[in-house]
Amino acid sequence: MITQPDTRRLVDRILTLVHATKGASAIVAVRSAREGNTRFAVNEITSSGDVEQLAITLTVQFGQRSASATTNQTDDRAIDDLVGRALRMARLAPENPEQLPPLGRQTYLAVKNPVDPATAKLTPDARAKAAGAALAAADAAKVTIAGFVRHGSQSLLLATSEGLSASHTWTSCGMSCTARTPDGTGSGWAGLGGHRIASIDAAALANTAVTKATSSARPHKLDPGRYTVILEPAAVASLLAFLIGAFNARRADEGRSFFAKKRPGDALFPAEITLRSDPTDGPLGASPFDSEGFPLALTKWIDKGTLTGLPYSRFWAKKQGKPPTGQPSAWTLDGGTASQDELIKGVSRGVLITRFWYLRPLDPQTLLTTGLTRDGVYLIENGRISHPVNNFRFNESPVQMLARCDGLGLTEIPSGGEGGGVRVPVLRTHEFNLASISEAV
Amino acid sequence: MIGSATVKLSRRSFLKGGSAGALALFAGPRLGTARGLLTEPKLDELVKRALEAATKAGASYADVRVVRIRSENIATREDRVERVASSEDYGVGVRVIAGGAWGFAATPSVTAADAERAARDAVAIAKANAPLMKRPVTLAPVPANVDVWQTPLTKDPFKIPLEDKAEILLAINREAMKVPGVKFATSQFAAAAEWKLLASTDGAYIEQEIVRIGPGYAVTAVDDKRGEFETREFQLPPRQAGWEYVEGSSMLADARRIGEEAVEKLKAPSVSPGKKDLILDPSNLWLTIHESIGHTTELDRALGYEANYAGTSFATPDQRGKLQIGAPLLTFYADKTTPGGLATCGYDDDGVATQKWNLVENGVLVSYQTTREQAGWIGEKASRGTCYADGYGSFPFQRMPNVSLAPGPKERSLDELIAATDDGVVIAGRGSWSIDHQRLNFQFGGQAFWEVKRGKKTRMLRDVAYQANTIEFWHACDAIGGPKSWFMGGTLTDGKGEPGQINSVSHGCPPARFKQVNVLNTNRRTA
Repeated sequence: MITQPDTRRLVDRILTLVHATKGASAIVAVRSAREGNTRFAVNEITSSGDVEQLAITLTVQFGQRSASATTNQTDDRAIDDLVGRALRMARLAPENPEQLPPLGRQTYLAVKNPVDPATAKLTPDARAKAAGAALAAADAAKVTIAGFVRHGSQSLLLATSEGLSASHTWTSCGMSCTARTPDGTGSGWAGLGGHRIASIDAAALANTAVTKATSSARPHKLDPGRYTVILEPAAVASLLAFLIGAFNARRADEGRSFFAKKRPGDALFPAEITLRSDPTDGPLGASPFDSEGFPLALTKWIDKGTLTGLPYSRFWAKKQGKPPTGQPSAWTLDGGTASQDELIKGVSRGVLITRFWYLRPLDPQTLLTTGLTRDGVYLIENGRISHPVNNFRFNESPVQMLARCDGLGLTEIPSGGEGGGVRVPVLRTHEFNLASISEAV
Repeated sequence: MIGSATVKLSRRSFLKGGSAGALALFAGPRLGTARGLLTEPKLDELVKRALEAATKAGASYADVRVVRIRSENIATREDRVERVASSEDYGVGVRVIAGGAWGFAATPSVTAADAERAARDAVAIAKANAPLMKRPVTLAPVPANVDVWQTPLTKDPFKIPLEDKAEILLAINREAMKVPGVKFATSQFAAAAEWKLLASTDGAYIEQEIVRIGPGYAVTAVDDKRGEFETREFQLPPRQAGWEYVEGSSMLADARRIGEEAVEKLKAPSVSPGKKDLILDPSNLWLTIHESIGHTTELDRALGYEANYAGTSFATPDQRGKLQIGAPLLTFYADKTTPGGLATCGYDDDGVATQKWNLVENGVLVSYQTTREQAGWIGEKASRGTCYADGYGSFPFQRMPNVSLAPGPKERSLDELIAATDDGVVIAGRGSWSIDHQRLNFQFGGQAFWEVKRGKKTRMLRDVAYQANTIEFWHACDAIGGPKSWFMGGTLTDGKGEPGQINSVSHGCPPARFKQVNVLNTNRRTA
């Protein structure tokens, strides 16, 4: 993996080369990563690897013209080629009236503890040990198990010809597993992410998946319909992603978004709902700046159920006379204090859902989304889980999920499914449209 | 059918000898015969040293892939170019078997010393995993293939001036924006050239260059008074091809019509849900085939190897030769040799020569997609050649070949299917898509929908999706188009695996009719 001094020298060389060309300004981004993973299935290891990656991206601007070139090679010839390619393409690119010059020097918030050295240095043996704990749990319970252990360290250095220099280094990790009963009628999943490998207990995670598999076997038939549901964090994360994706002032102003005609101050959700982006959240892999180097602020976009505003790009903010926000990341849906059992106790008849799969948008205006339940669905009766039930296809909107929410539990960072990279709680909501039965297990 | 037959550089030379003593066979004159115009001479030494390092460290098998992927993307919006980008990604990945387990390591530093280091790291990883293996990995035999293969093309898309490519996209936007009611238009062009050299201790020494391109656009009509909008997307099917494919297409000529359809769709009545006869245009049906037949017949998925992420499959190997997946008029085949197909190539990343074979014959499940590792799992002696990795840093594993529905024997067009339908809906284009983790319950949208009454398209509809069970759906198919109606769609971004990898894959099909399928209304406002 390229060292920080080498990265700095590389960036300086590129900026010097661009500077020699009259009228050219530049943005350089160097991303480097070292990642390791171990995959297992059918109760044995199936693949495992360590990979080094690098991407050096140069964006050259000539006034309103702009183009980007990327390479992962660091020798002089490759860098000369990169600069030549970007300059040549930028000269040829048609003018973009929305183009803004690169940013100059900025100041950023400090990310809280973004690096965990043990996670960066995790060995193949340590990964095998984590996988081995899952395999042992499955063998003991006579179920099959498949899963994934990953870890990595990443660095990003961003610099511009106007004097901006921003860098960020962080670690990330995750483990997930899916256990299945031999008769093919039960399946269970568990997954956790973060930035400290020590925060993931492989055996406990595997045991959760195994218990879910055995407890979800031989499901009873439950008819489609609108149900009170308890959504575990992985399910919440994947559906919430469609609402997070709609936070864009321009699309709202242009009339093609759920947020069209919504205004700051509009009460959209119950007072328990607060949705924030936090550029200091180390465990979430937060970055203090966006891809342009714009400094991000800790922002509550939904504060106690009320819309506070939408993110503005630099161009759109200038056009609309608003302050720019940059592109927010590291989202958290605030949780509550209830345990999952306490949320279940308040349900006379409902469905507990472990996670969703294959979510796709149906209607961008209402954020109506389709997808399926998988790996553990249970009927709740009179405040207790009564028995496992079949999977469903749902057609529901994250807007309605939050609008009808009346209970939030503790937050966690799910990993291994769709819609990762957010911190969300277990959540209770009502009238959730489980539209048709899925016979899949 | 084989693409290489038309390429000057390409040739297949099936050398005898199998895998025995491969490392000894590896060196020597075959390096010379394999080199086409693409190889950098320094790589001969690099791959040789990496394979030797892996063997010395204890690998019973090793392969080295040196991969360079060049890509170019242009994105426009209305009258301006929003993004021009080119990228090069180059590196070396070493995959080994040691102690019966796989190990893999990769680096962007393409030097013999770093390739040797990667080889040793890969062996160390394999050895760390070996104690947890219950059955050692074994590979089906393969001839020691030494060859060169390239996408047939006449105009290299990377050599076409940027302005020319941008101008076609801006012209499309201009055409679409002329339609009253159209407020936004975006268009984009993507090209990727994947060059790779594969060398293995089983004697493979194969160079390939695969060039793929994919343009498309989207037009949005807005009704400010009602506060509603509709988007009509249009995809020129991505292909392995040169710029001549774009030049020869009607994508610019179609832009006005696509804009008009966006406006008409916005004014169209919302569909009334219920059971309806569906006529699916190939521009819609290809994706349904991809999801319900393509992924279903991946052997690793069917046996539980993808259970943690993409799921498993209802079509388990014990049902081979027995499971009636669909009506007898349906035969689905896998094919990595179709000219222009996105997954077409000379050899897979196991070094196995590509081929064509049936997966579902007259409606019955007959076969699977396999790799060298997997062939033995179902008692087959040879791999079907479907191993692929999406870059130097990715572990090669089973990926989907082009999977297509064969046309009916008699010529029959989409219009003839419509004329023979009393009451139904025609669906064109790729809309929202979702299928469960055993490939049974699916729900698909589209881009354009028309009501059919008494053999005629009457008016457009909106908010349409169809939801079905895979087996019931394919059994409900009662008519398909003929050879001239066959059309190949595809995607550049099919995902699978952990860490996630991308695969490019095509699917050909004729239009087809399905009786009494569940049609949903996806508009929350009227539902």
